[in-house]
Order: sequence, then C-alpha cells, then structure tokens
Amino acid sequence: MEIFFQQLVNGLTIGSIYALVALGYTMVYGVLKLINFAHGDLVALSAYIGLVIIMQLMGALSPTILIIITFIATMIITAIGGVILERAAYRPLRKAPRLSAVVSALGASLIIENGIMLIWGPMPRIFPASVVPNANYDLHGVYISLMQVLVLVISFILMVALYLFVNRTKLGTAMRACAIDQDAARLMGIDVDKVIVTTFVIGSALGAVGGLFIGMYYRGIYFNMGWIYGLNAFVAAIIGGIGNIPGAMLGGMLLGIFNAFIAGYVSSSWSLALTYVLLIVIMIFRPTGILGERVAEKV
Amino acid sequence: MKRKGLVGLLALVVTLLFTVSAFASGYIKIGVQAPITGKFASEGQSIDKAVRLIAKQVNEKGGILGKKIKVITCDDEGKAVKAAICARKLVDAGVIAVIGSYTSTCAEAAEPIYYRAGVLQTSDGTSDTLVKHGYWTFFRNSSPNSAEAKFTAEFFLKKQHYKRITVISDYSTFSTNLAKAVINDLKKMGGNIVYYGKITSGAQNFTPILTKIKSYNPDVIYFSGYYTDGGLIRAQMVQLGIKADFVGGDSNDNPEFLKLAGKAAVGAYLVNVPLPQMLPYPEAKEFLKAYRETYHENPASIWTLFNVDGLRVILYAIQQTKSLNTKKIAHYLHYELKDFPGITGPISFAPNGERVGSAYMAYRIGPDLKYHIVYKEK
Repeated sequence: MEIFFQQLVNGLTIGSIYALVALGYTMVYGVLKLINFAHGDLVALSAYIGLVIIMQLMGALSPTILIIITFIATMIITAIGGVILERAAYRPLRKAPRLSAVVSALGASLIIENGIMLIWGPMPRIFPASVVPNANYDLHGVYISLMQVLVLVISFILMVALYLFVNRTKLGTAMRACAIDQDAARLMGIDVDKVIVTTFVIGSALGAVGGLFIGMYYRGIYFNMGWIYGLNAFVAAIIGGIGNIPGAMLGGMLLGIFNAFIAGYVSSSWSLALTYVLLIVIMIFRPTGILGERVAEKV
Repeated sequence: MKRKGLVGLLALVVTLLFTVSAFASGYIKIGVQAPITGKFASEGQSIDKAVRLIAKQVNEKGGILGKKIKVITCDDEGKAVKAAICARKLVDAGVIAVIGSYTSTCAEAAEPIYYRAGVLQTSDGTSDTLVKHGYWTFFRNSSPNSAEAKFTAEFFLKKQHYKRITVISDYSTFSTNLAKAVINDLKKMGGNIVYYGKITSGAQNFTPILTKIKSYNPDVIYFSGYYTDGGLIRAQMVQLGIKADFVGGDSNDNPEFLKLAGKAAVGAYLVNVPLPQMLPYPEAKEFLKAYRETYHENPASIWTLFNVDGLRVILYAIQQTKSLNTKKIAHYLHYELKDFPGITGPISFAPNGERVGSAYMAYRIGPDLKYHIVYKEK
C-alpha cells in the first residue's frame, strides 16, 4: 500500500509542475487561439534567471527570504519576457493567417533556447543543494521531502488563486469574454490588448514558478529542457481540454500520475509510450479533452 | 615569343608545386577528430589541447625523423553524420593518423573511411563493436565495456556479496550494452538479478521507477548511463528512503555527479579506470604537470589521457620503424610493441587493435566527497 501512495506522491509532484506550465499554454490558447510554442523555453529561461538570483543572494539572506525573493523576482522578470514575446512575435501577426503565428512561435522558441545556450553555455547548470532545507518526512513508509510539500502546496494555492481571479474579478470576466468572442468583447468596451497582455503576464509568471520548481527539485537544468517540459505540459493542456483552465490543472496531474503508475505497475521502459497510448484513448472518446466544451463550428 | 612565355610560366608553376610539396612533406600530419562543441565539448577540447601539447613537446625536441608534427582538428560535435564528414576532411588533408573520437558512435562512423584510406585511428571509445570490423587501421587506447562488465560483476559478488541486484540503463547503445554485459556476467557467476529497467535520459523524474525498485527490496541499484541522470537517481533514491547501495558505471565519473546528488553522493560507488591523479606512472605525473603549466587546468577526465597515449604510441612506432608507411606502423603496433610505458599504464595491442589488459577500480564517495578505492583489479 505504501508503494501505491508513494507513486501517488511522485505523480502529483511532477504533475503539479506540468499543470503550472500547462496553464500558460491553455490561457494563451483560450484568448488568442494560438499555441505559444515558446512557452516551454520561457520556463527554461525562468529556471536560469532563478539560478542567477540565488547565486547572487545566497549567504546574504536567510533561506526563507531568499526563496521568497527568488520566486517574486523570477516571476516578474519572466512575465516581462512574456510581454516582450507577445509584442515582438505575436501582436504584429494577429491578423495574419494562423500558420504564420505558429511559425513565429517556433522561431521565438528557437531564439530563446539558443539565447540561453549562448549566455549560459551548453553544459547543464546545477542549483545549489541547500536552497530549500533538505528535510525528508517518513509517513508510515511513504517518503515526502520538504521541497515536494512546497511544490504541492504552492501549486495548489496558485491554482485556486487563478481560478478565483478568472471567475470572480472584472479582469477575469473580461478574459473569459475575450475567449468566447474577441470582437463582441471589444464592442462591449473591453480593452482586448490589455487582456491579452494580462494573459501573457499570468501564464509566464506561473510558468516561472514551474521552472523554479524544476531547478530546485531536480537541481540540474539544461538549455533545451524547455522542449520536453513544454511538450508534456502541452499534452496535459490538451487532455484537460485546451483553453480550459481547470482542465489544464487536471490534465497535468493526470499525466504525472499515469506516468508514475504505469512505471510502477506495468513497465518503466514503456511508461512514456503507454502514457501516450492512454492519452490517445482519452482523445478518441473526448476529442475536446476531459473538461473541454464541445464547440460548435463557427460559420 | 608567346610560346617562350608560356614555357616560362609552366616552369614557374612546376617549381612552385615542388616547393609546396617539399614544404608539406616536412611535416607529419596528425588529425584530431573530437567533439569540440556540443554536449561533450569539455572532453573534446581537452583531447585537442592535450594532442597539441604533445606535438609541441615533440617539435621542441626536433620532431620525429627530422620532421615536425602538424595537428589538424575537426569538430564532429559528437554526431555520427559529422564524424563521417570529418573523416573525409582529415583524409583529404593528408593526415597519417587520427586521434579520436571521444564517443564510440563517432569513432565507429569514421572507422571505415580511415580504413579505406589507410589512415591509422586510435580512439577511447569503449563499445566492444569498435574492434570487431577487422580494420587493421583501428587501435583502441582504452578498455572495452566487456572488461568493465566483468570487473563490475566480480565487485558485486566477490567483494560486496549482493544478494538482490537491480539494474537501470538508459536507451543509448552504450548504456544498454554495458547493462546487458553486466547482467550476463552476473548471471554466469550466479548473481541474482531481481529487476532490470530503462529510463529516458534527461527525464529528471526517476521516482516512479525507483519506487518500483524499492518494492523489490534490493541490496544494490546499478546504473550504466551518464552522470547527468546518475546524480539525480542517487539523490532521488535516498529521498525515497531506499537503503540499497548505488553503483554507477564509468560514465557517472564526473564532478557534476557530485553536484547533482548533493549530500546523497556520500556512500555511492563508482566503477571506472583510475582517475588521472591516481595514475602511479612517472609519465602520467610528468604529463599532468606539463598540461597544468600550459593550460592552467586539469585535463577533463581520464579519457584525454587515453587518447594522448594513443598518439604517443603511434609516434613511438614511427620512430621505431623509421617509416611513415601506415601498414608498417600498424604491423609494428600489432605484433612487435610490448608494454610501452604509457601515461595510463603499459600498452600492448592484440592483433584486432584491442588494447591488452585493463585496470578497473571501484570507488566509494566518502563524506569528504572524495573517491576512495574499495576494490581493484589484480
């Protein structure tokens, strides 16, 4: 039984990270109907930014303050990165055919990835070991570390906050309005550009938290890791129903848990392949994702 | 008048050609095929620097057979396609021997091209297949995977007495072959392997497979892949409360393993050939000193020294045979050379180009994060 719960903890931890990154994909898609392929690389960039901040401030501050400052500063810088990305790569192409925007997204992805490589080099960078104290709890044979607790708790708080923001605030309502029909939203007096920028800010900041978790939990970061995390998070967004915010959270968690249980109970060598088989099955029965709504084709 | 001018021009061209070729034949050209950029850049650059250092030393003493050595480097980026391109380039440049490449994959991709051109090649690649093509041009300057596997199996059963063994590899040819070789040797010696699984290199999250392994209650987890994954596996198994030992194959031997595993690195075991600074031979001490003085750093790893030995032994053979005929040199290396005093120990070659003998060791990482020898090949 403890093996079962241990796998659940394993799955939830990586699943939370996927979910945080997936939110960035799904929010941008919801508003712009654009798949922001550069999002994964923005996440990788945030991990490097976080590392620079930690290396600069380590020793000078107490660990708690260091972690808080690192998170806030990285979220802000990555959010600015997201806004620049939107301005430079997507806004000029908003009226262009959708394929142009996809090409632009892929180009932005390559620019960020290679930029990281040129600045920080192709070798892996490693987070210092002692940022988060190395505490480990043994709950009747199920082991969970302080870092895992942080990942789970912070992700949960951020997701609840996002849900409340989208559903309970004016800007959140405007965001949902833009997702349904941009032109109608503009006619109702909503500043669509502002909503889009807000979407990029929130998506990038959440991705930054994911990037920092990757750095602090797994320690090693690579200039091209944005690709693999981006791919998994993108898939998570699709399973949940792309454009649907709770869907992205659910999709991320499911992807993490599937992967852990298949590796644990079926075969670790086949875990990735079988995870995707399962996802294809879900897509066959729910083509718009688990929580995705059935959209009528616009005429 | 016109004709005379033409003849004059022709004469000039002929003289020029002669001088150029005479100039060129004043050199012995040695190629370096190594990953100067990419994932393995630090290893490739170190090999190139070391070869150039040896060439400089030899040239300062007047060269070999009255000729100076000229080093020509080609970057294969650790990719098979680039390796083949490099091989053609170096052959066209007129090298008589090539040092490299660092990875088995690249060495193997270039092998047939050097063989057809009659150019000698020496590589540290550990894949057993490298010497199985019957190319007289190829010389391995390190030890093959099969030797490491045999040593690992002996270490597990004779020294550590593991009863429940689990094995993890990644999907690369090198790692799966090493894992399979270890499993085979363990089975031959009566070892009990309870689990073998594969991970995707770079996946970072290895807790699912480790949790599964935990349910087998193992004595040891053996990992045959690279340090970037090995360090994380070690950290995560400790975090999951797995009490088993961790033993990493040769590619876990890198300072980054320690950084990735953090405190969890203490108590982990690694199997590899000796570290550069552990080599007892005077040639090794002398070379390391020269390298540090020239470049103000240590060579990237033991692999640099293996490749340097490959170069040294070829230069020695040129001297002994007083010839630049690669057939003659290869014959000398295969059949006449015996226990040449190398940086990495005495060197002799089997007729298939395999280096004879090996010197694996098992290290335990102590609380000081240094390597401590726990088991040695006799």
